[in-house]
Amino acid sequence: MTPEVWHRRALWQFLPLAAGFLVLVAISAGSVLLVYKSRDDSAAVVHTIEVENQTNALLLEIRRAESSARGYLLTSAQDFLGDHQEAVAAIHPELDKLEWLTQDNPVQRENVRKLRSAIEMRLSQFAREMDSVKAGNPTAAAELVREAAAGNTTATIRDIANEMLTEENRLFAMRSASAEHSQWLASTVTIAGSALVIVLAGISMVLLRRSARARDEAEAMLRDANLNLEATVDERTADLREANDEIQRFAYIVSHDLRSPLVNIMGFTSELEELRHDIFKRIASLGRAVASAQAPVVSIETEPVLEGVDLKLSQEFSEALGFIKSSIAKMDRLISAILNLTREGRRQFEPVPIDMRQLIESIVATLAHQAAEADATVDIGNLPNLVSDRLALEQIFSNLIDNAIKYLRPGVPGEISVKGRTKLGFAIFEVSDNGRGIDQKDHQRIFDLFRRAGTQDKPGQGIGLAHVRALVRRLGGTMSVASELNSGSTFTITLPLKWNATNRKQDA
Amino acid sequence: MTTPVTIIMIEDDEGHARLIERNIRRSGVNNEIIPFSNGTDALNYLFGRDGSGAGHRGQAFLILLDLNLPDTTGIEILRQLKENKYLKSAPVVVLTTTDDSQEIKRCYELGCNVYITKPVNYESFANAIRQLGLFFSVIQVPPATI
Repeated sequence: MTPEVWHRRALWQFLPLAAGFLVLVAISAGSVLLVYKSRDDSAAVVHTIEVENQTNALLLEIRRAESSARGYLLTSAQDFLGDHQEAVAAIHPELDKLEWLTQDNPVQRENVRKLRSAIEMRLSQFAREMDSVKAGNPTAAAELVREAAAGNTTATIRDIANEMLTEENRLFAMRSASAEHSQWLASTVTIAGSALVIVLAGISMVLLRRSARARDEAEAMLRDANLNLEATVDERTADLREANDEIQRFAYIVSHDLRSPLVNIMGFTSELEELRHDIFKRIASLGRAVASAQAPVVSIETEPVLEGVDLKLSQEFSEALGFIKSSIAKMDRLISAILNLTREGRRQFEPVPIDMRQLIESIVATLAHQAAEADATVDIGNLPNLVSDRLALEQIFSNLIDNAIKYLRPGVPGEISVKGRTKLGFAIFEVSDNGRGIDQKDHQRIFDLFRRAGTQDKPGQGIGLAHVRALVRRLGGTMSVASELNSGSTFTITLPLKWNATNRKQDA
Repeated sequence: MTTPVTIIMIEDDEGHARLIERNIRRSGVNNEIIPFSNGTDALNYLFGRDGSGAGHRGQAFLILLDLNLPDTTGIEILRQLKENKYLKSAPVVVLTTTDDSQEIKRCYELGCNVYITKPVNYESFANAIRQLGLFFSVIQVPPATI
């Protein structure tokens, strides 16, 4: 599956969740708004009822004042007078309260204004009636009552109040409807939102399950792939090991069998040499015999001397034999080198804790003679200790130090240093010198078998560095060279601090 | 009474055989040399028709043995010789081209008396054979026990 598909799938999974979350937020916000609205609506309804109550209370007080006034007129009893005065005193506060309550409604305000003037008029009538009664003139008072009845003030008050009540009823109906609507809206929004959330959750769950299944499948595939990979790696490793063993065997057999004819060639060349000696001795004595025919053959002890053409022949013979012998010697050295390399390749490493300083010091001590002859000093710095194969390390460092001593610049005292440090489980060693250096183009070549670089004025087979690198690799390390012609070389070797025997034993 | 030592040379390479013989002679050893170019013939001769090795009772041998033979290995011949009660006392000189330490160790374990690496360098080869010649002349081969 491509990453793009994964990405898209993740997006699809994320969308319903995001949508669900948004819906939840919307529902919450809507609910809060609607709750506020319905609270306002309820408050409005309550307000309407309050206004109605207040209107009724006012009317009640006016009726009370009226009936007690009438009672007082009829009986002149002080009880009625007290009652009347109490009712009249209550009328004004009730009216003020009503006015305060109806501030929000211009229609009602107008009504209240009319009501107030009607009530003021009625109150003044009351006052006059009371005054007449108190003055002991009930007839005048009755007259005033009649007059008031004719003025229809009470009816006016009642009409206005009724109008107000009607208005409030209308408002009440309207506000109730509005509150109901708000509640309906709130429940609808909640239900619809919840349903949407459930649907989205369902979709999300389906997608999640699908992706989980895809993941399980991918995991199973990965597991299979890993198993296959392991099997493949094992197979390849076995193949490589076999190939390597084959090469080792091949190199061993070839070099071994090449030596056999070489023994013959060398042996019979030496025989030829012996023969040459005899032949030319004979030629010399024969030549002399011919030259002085009378003279008897001289005693064998005196060595006959060759002359002219014979001498030249003898020299050429010797030269030819010399070339053959030196070539055979060289070939023998090469074959021995290959044999040694294959033998090294088959040797099993034995990791032991190694004091590197001690190891390098002992190598330097062995090479002290050569160093003194080459006017070279070896400086040993701090060296980390290893757990590795002692013999391999000895070969690596003695080769490098030996090379450093061997390839110094003529006339320049040699300064060779061996330094070390650790880094991430590896030890890094540097063997540097101020010698003749190696040309950039030869940096790879010097590690090849039988290849050498620079002036060929020192004895050697071109095996040392090839061997060193093979050993370093077998020890699980790497090596490299940094050098410039005429300014010294630095060989850097990185080796694991702890050589893992279990891993490598199968390879050996 | 000592019988002259017979040298049994088991060597498949004719050149090597010739070089060995010449150098033995050159170093002044004139004992009889019986050459074999393969292991089977040599074993047949040494062990006789019945394979017991009793046929050469009382005869003194010195065996020059090459390890690389076409039909069998020198190691196998060495093992058989050292297991035979009549022949086990005969000194065996192993001559071979390799100086593999494992192989040398194996030969000495099996009872070889001298192990010589055939050198390419003629001088050292002649020297080795010459020393071998001296060795030949001083050895006293005890008569095989009956």
